[in-house]
Amino acid sequence: MFFYYIYPGLWETFFSGLGMEPIISRPSTIKTVEKASQISETEHCLPNKLFDAHLAELVGKVDMVFVPRVLSTIKNHLSCPKFGPLPDAARADIARETKVLSIEIDESRRPLSESLMLLGKQLKSQKSQIRSAINSSLRAMDSAKNQRVRSQKKKGGLHFLLIGHPYVIYDNFIAGPILQKLEKMGCEVELISFAEDAPAKSYILWSTANLIYHTMKTLSREEYDGVIQITVFNCGCDSMMIDTYRSLMKEKNIPFMYLMVDEHLAQSGMDTRVEAFVDSLGWRP
Amino acid sequence: MTYMAIPNIGNYTIALATAVESLGIKAWASTATTPEALKLGIEAAPESVCLPLKAHLGHFIEADKAGVEYAFMINSVGTCRLRYYRHMIDQILKDLGLKIKIFGLGFDGFKPPIVRHFNPGPITFIKPLFHSVLKIKVIDELEVAAWRTRPIEITPGETTRIMNKLLVELSESKTMAQTRSLRKKVAGSFADIPVDKEKQPLKVGLVGEISFLRDKCLNKNIEYILGSQGIELKNFFLLGEELENITRIIFLNQSRRKSLSRIADRYLQNSVGGHALDSVANSIHCADEGYDGMIHLCPSGCMPEVSVRPILKRVSKDMDIPILEMSYDEHTCAVGISTRLEAFADVLMERRKNGSVAFRREKARRG
Repeated sequence: MFFYYIYPGLWETFFSGLGMEPIISRPSTIKTVEKASQISETEHCLPNKLFDAHLAELVGKVDMVFVPRVLSTIKNHLSCPKFGPLPDAARADIARETKVLSIEIDESRRPLSESLMLLGKQLKSQKSQIRSAINSSLRAMDSAKNQRVRSQKKKGGLHFLLIGHPYVIYDNFIAGPILQKLEKMGCEVELISFAEDAPAKSYILWSTANLIYHTMKTLSREEYDGVIQITVFNCGCDSMMIDTYRSLMKEKNIPFMYLMVDEHLAQSGMDTRVEAFVDSLGWRP
Repeated sequence: MTYMAIPNIGNYTIALATAVESLGIKAWASTATTPEALKLGIEAAPESVCLPLKAHLGHFIEADKAGVEYAFMINSVGTCRLRYYRHMIDQILKDLGLKIKIFGLGFDGFKPPIVRHFNPGPITFIKPLFHSVLKIKVIDELEVAAWRTRPIEITPGETTRIMNKLLVELSESKTMAQTRSLRKKVAGSFADIPVDKEKQPLKVGLVGEISFLRDKCLNKNIEYILGSQGIELKNFFLLGEELENITRIIFLNQSRRKSLSRIADRYLQNSVGGHALDSVANSIHCADEGYDGMIHLCPSGCMPEVSVRPILKRVSKDMDIPILEMSYDEHTCAVGISTRLEAFADVLMERRKNGSVAFRREKARRG
């Protein structure tokens, strides 16, 4: 779930290429959240709790679950430290009865294709078969990433940029209601693109955070009417970064709002905040 | 006289203060975050950042109010939020319009900026540094002796009294010779405390996030509470050991992390960040050694420590060792903490009566 959205289209193509049948957990709903609050560690951030619930959904239905150890998705950057022990935590707790397949992905040490090669070898597949699976899966990922980039032009209506971690803004439960509300109000929403793979270096080492920071630096008032960040309760990275984003947007005179989602999300609460934000933009000179 | 505010790392602040004298200035610090400082920090910081940042920040704001011009903080190069503390604190202090200037340990050319700024002579610089390392070692010894003596003392509070007396003497000690003679006194002073030799105290290990292991204000004086309930403890953060570890990394390229990850390998194959690997490895180690229980301390929402909790739970089940998880936030109150610790101590006592610990000890002895 975490990694499915970071590497769109990659995993299912790769595993089918190796002659396996990938089963993907269903998009999160309120039921997933209920399950998560029962089985997961109470102090995890919301995505980590959802991850546990998705894992629990798969256990028993499959021969093995795949939980990669994503240490770094962009060269010379780091992932959130919570990704480090994820496969071990899965083995220790929720997926104890199932085989947990894992691979270390660390772009600073080796490129993704090599990591995939090692993963294929773990599964005892033929080298040529792995190679073709890698090629097709990387292609699938690229096309999926490009599809996500929407048109950048204004077509009337307010034009917003939505920022957040990939597993937050593409999640059905977390971002879904907010996106629907914005679209219902006739606003045009663009999700931040994660296609860039070499953002300029800054003091931020977390890959997603630096990518967002990098993107926000290039924004202009003409292009976007506002920026909305979706964050989740207990997210460590965001807790450090929101203030940086906010002051950056203040400098550029672009309206900025962040919405924090937790297990007790109520649609009406989000609706009110989104409506107020959109209304307040109308009063701007 | 110029003053420099330094972070609170428990009793080790005394040694760090000596190190600051190497720059020809005086240190402004206390051995525990004050509640007032914490309050200032909570007001100034974003609400969802972790508590150690708020404590740090509050301490510096308080220093600025007292007219201190400089501050020093240790920056991490790890994966967790600690890495961004410096940047964030700088930013917040600037927004508040405070003048205090913060130095880190980073190098700029040959000399770190902090040394270049104050430009001390070589002898005034080197000597206090060695003195401070010596003081750190003495404090290590004091801590270890206090953990052993406190649970079996006959007059409650005697150990703490002796400990405080020695710490005051240590902070007043100006020369290496004075500190050395003080070091010789340590064992004797603790041996003079009347103790109940028959008593076999429960043994508990403390693991977790370092500022909570060390700062008496943040952890609500957990070492004292445990000790006075008759629990002998081992706190897995001793600055002396940590320094030795760092020296070994620099000069011999051997990290203690390697041996820790060997121990933890069954459960955790990644170093995560912070002291999360240490927490897991030390819990396994203590279970093997026949400890009665473990206590895991961390600030609420701590990224590395919270993420290894499912693993700690598994260790606890597999190796039959109770692990109490304590999260602290700004609303934690001391009474709540001591109630939980009392209940935990009762559970451990009952387990010992039922023989589960004796069985494990026996197993550990046989190897």
